[in-house]
Amino acid sequence: MAAKPGSAPVTYSPNLGQKTRPPIFKDNDLDWVRPDGRGFHQCRPAFFRTGAVNSASGSAYAELGSTKVIVSVFGPRESKKAMMYSDTGRLNCNVSYTTFATPVRGQGSDHKEFSSMLLKALEGAIMLETFPKTTVDVFALVLESGGSDLPVVISCASLALADAGIMMYDLVAAVSVSCLGKNLVIDPVLEEESYQDGSLMLTCMPSRYEVTQLTFTGEWSTPDINEAMQLCLDACSKLGKVMRTCLKEAASASQE
Amino acid sequence: MVGLSVGEKHFIQGGIAQDLRSDGRKRLTYRPIYVETGVIPQAHGSARVRLGATDVIASVKAELGKPSALQPDKGKIAIYVDCSPTAAPMFEGRGGEELSTELSVALQRCLLGGKSGAGAGIDPTSLVVVEGKVCWDLYIDGLVISSDGNLLDALAAAIKAALSNTGIPKVDVAVETRSDEQPEVNISDEEFLQFDTSGIPVIVTLTKVGRHYIVDATSEEESQMSSAVSISVNRKGHICGLTKRGGVGLDPSIILDMISVAKHVSEQLINKLDSEIAAAEASEEES
Amino acid sequence: MCFFPLFRSKENRLTMGLPNASGDLSTEVEVDAFRRLFPLRFYEKHLLESIRPDARPLGRARETTIALALAKIGSTTMLAAIKMEVMTPSLETPDEGCIAIDFHMPPICSPIVRPGRPAEGAPVVAKQLSDTILSSGMINLKELSLVSGKAAWMAYLDIYCLDADGALFDTALLSAVAAFSHLEIPVVSLNDDGKIVLSEEQGLSDREPVNKEKRKINLSSVPFSLTCVLHKNYILADPTAEEESIMDTIVTVVLDSSSQLVSLHKPGGTVLAYTSAIQDCIALTRQRVKELQKILEEGISGMEVD
Repeated sequence: MAAKPGSAPVTYSPNLGQKTRPPIFKDNDLDWVRPDGRGFHQCRPAFFRTGAVNSASGSAYAELGSTKVIVSVFGPRESKKAMMYSDTGRLNCNVSYTTFATPVRGQGSDHKEFSSMLLKALEGAIMLETFPKTTVDVFALVLESGGSDLPVVISCASLALADAGIMMYDLVAAVSVSCLGKNLVIDPVLEEESYQDGSLMLTCMPSRYEVTQLTFTGEWSTPDINEAMQLCLDACSKLGKVMRTCLKEAASASQE
Repeated sequence: MVGLSVGEKHFIQGGIAQDLRSDGRKRLTYRPIYVETGVIPQAHGSARVRLGATDVIASVKAELGKPSALQPDKGKIAIYVDCSPTAAPMFEGRGGEELSTELSVALQRCLLGGKSGAGAGIDPTSLVVVEGKVCWDLYIDGLVISSDGNLLDALAAAIKAALSNTGIPKVDVAVETRSDEQPEVNISDEEFLQFDTSGIPVIVTLTKVGRHYIVDATSEEESQMSSAVSISVNRKGHICGLTKRGGVGLDPSIILDMISVAKHVSEQLINKLDSEIAAAEASEEES
Repeated sequence: MCFFPLFRSKENRLTMGLPNASGDLSTEVEVDAFRRLFPLRFYEKHLLESIRPDARPLGRARETTIALALAKIGSTTMLAAIKMEVMTPSLETPDEGCIAIDFHMPPICSPIVRPGRPAEGAPVVAKQLSDTILSSGMINLKELSLVSGKAAWMAYLDIYCLDADGALFDTALLSAVAAFSHLEIPVVSLNDDGKIVLSEEQGLSDREPVNKEKRKINLSSVPFSLTCVLHKNYILADPTAEEESIMDTIVTVVLDSSSQLVSLHKPGGTVLAYTSAIQDCIALTRQRVKELQKILEEGISGMEVD
């Protein structure tokens, strides 16, 4: 919506985006420092809160570094008219970005790939048979994209589902790893993701020790896969504890 | 959707448990693969792959474009899959959209490697004509004509075949160009460059039914799956991509076991596919 | 950016089933059922006692907080962000910048918004916001000029509704005002290609910046608004979503910091607003402006302490 009718001037950002690929570390260069000074196997501190949106059945807010997301859960409610009868419940997921989430002003559109990935990551954890014929909607909005957006959305969504009282086998915690040269860095930030050689994202139910979603990109050898998966599984179980604490705090606060 | 009676379901599950599937295959046997190349004359390369009743076409189209500012030394590759309503009534209208997105994303992840281009089946630096100025943009389109399970493996095989069938016109660059101008290019009509397709991985989807997993599941078998994992493996035996295709959670050790099974299966599949592609190209030249 | 205030007030949900003055209803379950079945009668019973179901008197607005560009009235939450880009000004106004305002209601904010299609009321609020902000004279567009005729700022203001519970316009306007009062314009210079670039990043710090003195925007006459719902003879200030849906006559008054009328909006409705009712609305808004000014000042000074 331009301020003056009929004028939609072309604009550009004064930040010219002179992002040259930083001197990528060679095979043995272990002195390389991550942009935020973390160790290679150290996650960003995670902050979770449930009940961010009052008009939703359940909601959660998550903040890891500069990655900030809100997830709202609506339902179980009536499925769309065109849907056929189903004796298990349906899950409907949508992930979108704000126009100011990314460094370059975007269109703030839906993210189809993430929406489908979110669905796949959650469906294995939800007891769909507990809400037959109805739909649960999980909507996520990325307020600020700071890297590892999808894993943060997934973890946050499982908390929002718990807040909405949807029956689940376990919370779903998600962590990703970037492969840079020969090194694995966990919970990459946007800058690291932009020049990664490969990535792995793992979502799991920590108490059941079950993987609900796993994706790789790039070329991986078997020992690397083992190492990266173990790294993610350990991080997921830690993240799961943080998420659990958040739910307990919310429950004890509402009892008072 | 496949409507199966309880008896049929038991028959399928029982067969898989006893390593004898409904169509007589073993758990880790593929259906016969038929490859035809050059099926779409307008495209730079194309192939049709049939796996039983599953039938897919892949086409490759190349256009000259400008590399992105962030990666001046790389061409761009886009993969998009469309599910034709002829394959199943549910693909009509917007019905196939979700599956199309899922397949497109899985193929991009398995074939294009990491953000930096490492591990990609097609080396994106080979698409550059003038660094920072001119490059080839590859548009790879997949079309599902008939669907009887295991679409992803069939599409990956079709893309591999289409790429080996692809000839990209040779480009001559005019010499005198200033640094800030877009150089003039001449596209040759006669000389074509071929891709090195030996590094392109194949995708092996393992579908878990009961306690066992099978390759190349038909739609009937897919309806009985508890979960499925698609693994892309190249000739060197390295994993180039992996996607879990929903379903229930899996123990990490099972996933690792699936990866090693996929590696084993992929060797045979790559050999089989390569010989089929070679045969198809030979028959195309004859005719 | 810290979003802590998002989680401060949750009492709305807890006080909803507050036992009320009408003695014929004994248990909370029955109150809730009555509320759902006969919403209007439920409200009228309250109005007789000059109280609202969330325990507010009729003329009082909900608790309001501002942190950075996040505004919260009751549980309605809005997040505003401004992105500054450079444009070539038009020939008619060579030394003026531009403001582009957009209002979004993503599906997370309300159960009635579905992905893929725009929310029902969103375009109306967007138009109202853009009219109010541009006509109030809050921002002098000349201040956004960089090089006359060559370059000027284009301020993209995007407002996201994170939680929708009535009085969307009031909250959105408040968040927009907060965003502009926090706006810090980066120091930029003209580079050799005639483009405006950030001085520090481009190593042009020796060059004279083009906007040395214009790092903050002066906000003259800040607009504040109050939405009221009219029903029979009652005037309810700052309605919740439930109140807006039951009683459909809405009046929005916008006054600037010196209590001058910027705009008055009454989009139809079943109640005809008499002069006295409008005057009452304006009087309520005048009080509200004082409250909001104080809250905004606290919000800004709170930031400076950090």
